[in-house]
Amino acid sequence: MRFTYAAPDPNTPPALDGVTLRIEAGEYVAIVGANGSGKSTLARHLNALLIPTAGTVAIAGMDTRERTHRLAIRQTVGMVFQRPDDQIIAATIEEDVAFGPENMGLPPDEIRARVRQALETVGLWEVRLRPPHHLSAGQMQRAALAGVLAVQPRCIVFDEATAMLDPAGRRTVRLMMAQLHAEGVTVITITHFMDEATDAGRVIVMDRGRVALDGPPSEVFADEDTLHTLSLELPPIALLSRRLRQSFPALPPNLLTAPALTSALDALPHRVTATPAPPPPPPEPHVVGPELIEVEALGHVYLKGTPLEHRALRNVTLSIPDHGAHGLLGATGSGKSTLLQHLNGLLRPQEGRVRIGEFDLNDPRLDLRAVRRTAGLAFQMPELQIFEQYVGDEIAFGPRLQGLEGQALRERVRWAMELVGLDFNAFKDRLTFALSGGERRKVALAAVLALQPAILLLDEPTAGLDPLSRRELLTHLQTFRGAGMTLVTSSHRMEDLARLAETLTVMEDGRSLLSGPAVEVFSHEGQLRTLGLGLPAVAEIASALRARGWPLSPGVLTAEALAAQLEELIPRA
Amino acid sequence: MPDFEFQRYVTIGQYLATGSPLHRLDPRTRLLSGACLLIAITAARHLQGLGLALGIALAALLFARVPLNYALRGLLAPLPFILFLAVLQMLIGPQAADVPALVSLGPLQVSAQDVLAGVIIIARFIALILLISLTSAIISTSEFVHGLETLLRPFTTLGLPTQDLVLMAQVTLRFLPLLALEAERIAKAQASRGAEWGTGKTSILQRVRQTLPLLVPLFLNSLQRAEALALAMEARGYHSGKGRTSMTELHFRAGDAVALLIAAGMSALILFL
Repeated sequence: MRFTYAAPDPNTPPALDGVTLRIEAGEYVAIVGANGSGKSTLARHLNALLIPTAGTVAIAGMDTRERTHRLAIRQTVGMVFQRPDDQIIAATIEEDVAFGPENMGLPPDEIRARVRQALETVGLWEVRLRPPHHLSAGQMQRAALAGVLAVQPRCIVFDEATAMLDPAGRRTVRLMMAQLHAEGVTVITITHFMDEATDAGRVIVMDRGRVALDGPPSEVFADEDTLHTLSLELPPIALLSRRLRQSFPALPPNLLTAPALTSALDALPHRVTATPAPPPPPPEPHVVGPELIEVEALGHVYLKGTPLEHRALRNVTLSIPDHGAHGLLGATGSGKSTLLQHLNGLLRPQEGRVRIGEFDLNDPRLDLRAVRRTAGLAFQMPELQIFEQYVGDEIAFGPRLQGLEGQALRERVRWAMELVGLDFNAFKDRLTFALSGGERRKVALAAVLALQPAILLLDEPTAGLDPLSRRELLTHLQTFRGAGMTLVTSSHRMEDLARLAETLTVMEDGRSLLSGPAVEVFSHEGQLRTLGLGLPAVAEIASALRARGWPLSPGVLTAEALAAQLEELIPRA
Repeated sequence: MPDFEFQRYVTIGQYLATGSPLHRLDPRTRLLSGACLLIAITAARHLQGLGLALGIALAALLFARVPLNYALRGLLAPLPFILFLAVLQMLIGPQAADVPALVSLGPLQVSAQDVLAGVIIIARFIALILLISLTSAIISTSEFVHGLETLLRPFTTLGLPTQDLVLMAQVTLRFLPLLALEAERIAKAQASRGAEWGTGKTSILQRVRQTLPLLVPLFLNSLQRAEALALAMEARGYHSGKGRTSMTELHFRAGDAVALLIAAGMSALILFL
């Protein structure tokens, strides 16, 4: 079987432009690139959802242009999409998985057999009768995969299928991709996570509708400068390897995975037991300012008193100092979003106490609008809540309700736009719906900042962004911190939290499990792993080295800190 | 903050898997019985019939193990409207010349007959709401879809695209709870930017004014969702017309026949009592 793709597609502006590719049966291919580089368009040509304007696409010898081939092509190439919500059709998981086989016209017995097999493969057989909105995002994505598996395709395309998942969900989907590949299925994955691309045998980099690079990961990720011009970045481990190679030139180049880097470091001559472990550094000179936010024994039940009630928070206790940077981590559904909504008065405490600055949320006479002005909350995917036609109006909504008008309002909007790196004159009259994903997120963030909050609450600020937008956003957030704003961020990306947060709270099933300085929380390795959360790349390597007997002190979170400790142990050549 | 929990006061359309004997009937039986009673309540003319309907609805709710206080809470939201209609009916209903007025308010006269008409309206609406809550509590979306599909199958020969229609119903039902959640999220996002959602001091006019910024993103997001869903369906080989099969097969049992007969009998009683 051959699997060929060739599509010069002269559109204006062409989404794909002179793409010629050939993917063999059984390959594992990752497609990366900035937003708008044509990755998804390319993927949609692969199962005849889109037909090339010019050129041809042939799947296992079948031309996608031929209508008669279409069903056969869709049974050959299955697709898993980005948002779990939007691809599940039926009211229960079981029936949704049956949808594909039903379309093939299989007899009921055969359908039931295939549904069972597919659900057992993804480990969802037990919950097959649940309605989709009662599943976690990770489970839904596995259900979507089961729906594809039930058709038994020879090739599966994952279109940013891990973008919305928590670390455990991501890991499961990655393992499944690898497993499918091992079983001989052709796997094509589109992703913004560079570390996921290193799993593949071949990486294709798209740039403005063209194939910019195409080769094995070690080749594609060899040149950082080229990647930057393509709006991409190195995978976290590769970035760390590069930094360590500056200190230890003996390290081989192109170390992309944690095991590879660990083994390479371990192979260097080093002292293991000769020196005792250096004492852990004294606790960071933590600025013990006045506590700005105090949450005590907070509990919350949604739809209390109805048959649908479910508990979202139980006994959550934490405190965040003024000018602090706090991170929340935990699986989907662990209560992070509910907690954040308590921190700006959207929800009032049902049990326990919440204090934000001078505001006591347990006081029934409290002016909630004042609380919400003090603590600005940017929801997950805030760009979905944009409602004005023009960028300027959207950002002016909040200040206008505060009573600002005329020149003052204009200045406020300009100020907020500049904070997120949007040029006032160039963007204020742009249509909100014609912006790119990254720009829309910036507008939504500016709309919150325009209220000049003292506290900024962010729910998954980088989810679904491409590497360039993500890097820009993180830089802006660090600037706000420098300007004295208190940040509370929830994230599934340990790298983001390692960069943004001084203190962390780990949530599990509505409880605050661990809370304290980031260094301390990340040292509870085992516990984080059982929760399926994992560690930032640097901590991961440090932990792996420690397991091989390297006397590294705990709490290593930055590349610099790791390099400094390693220099103690590896004698200079 | 009940202000944001839009689902709290909506008991219609909420399936409750209590596993009662009613839940175990063939979905077609449940659909047909529900429809039968619905028509009877709508068409009933006398208070006795409606009183019986109320009794039946309450008994059936108990039998289906739906918590009564939950079902009754669903009445709270529409109650002002029902009362308003009833008062309207009392005040401007047709005047019978030979009936003495109980109360006169200038040109408006309220007779005993008008009061009865008002009470009938209240009873009818309450019975209807309870019955619809009950039906939706005992029929899951998928049962509804399969029941409807088999019930409508005879019409396929007349050229009606029943499969497409049923799929449309299925997708709509699937997305209703999502829409409610999304509306909640958007309202919260606007509240955190200073809009008066959920502060408990808004006038009706303000509420109407707030709805527009809520509807725009809701509508646009629904369009986006619809597009994504259509894509996902197409990618999984959906095509209308021949050649589709179904995983579930329905079985009509003796118990179903009995249940249908009971429902039909009750409906007749409600109509003619």
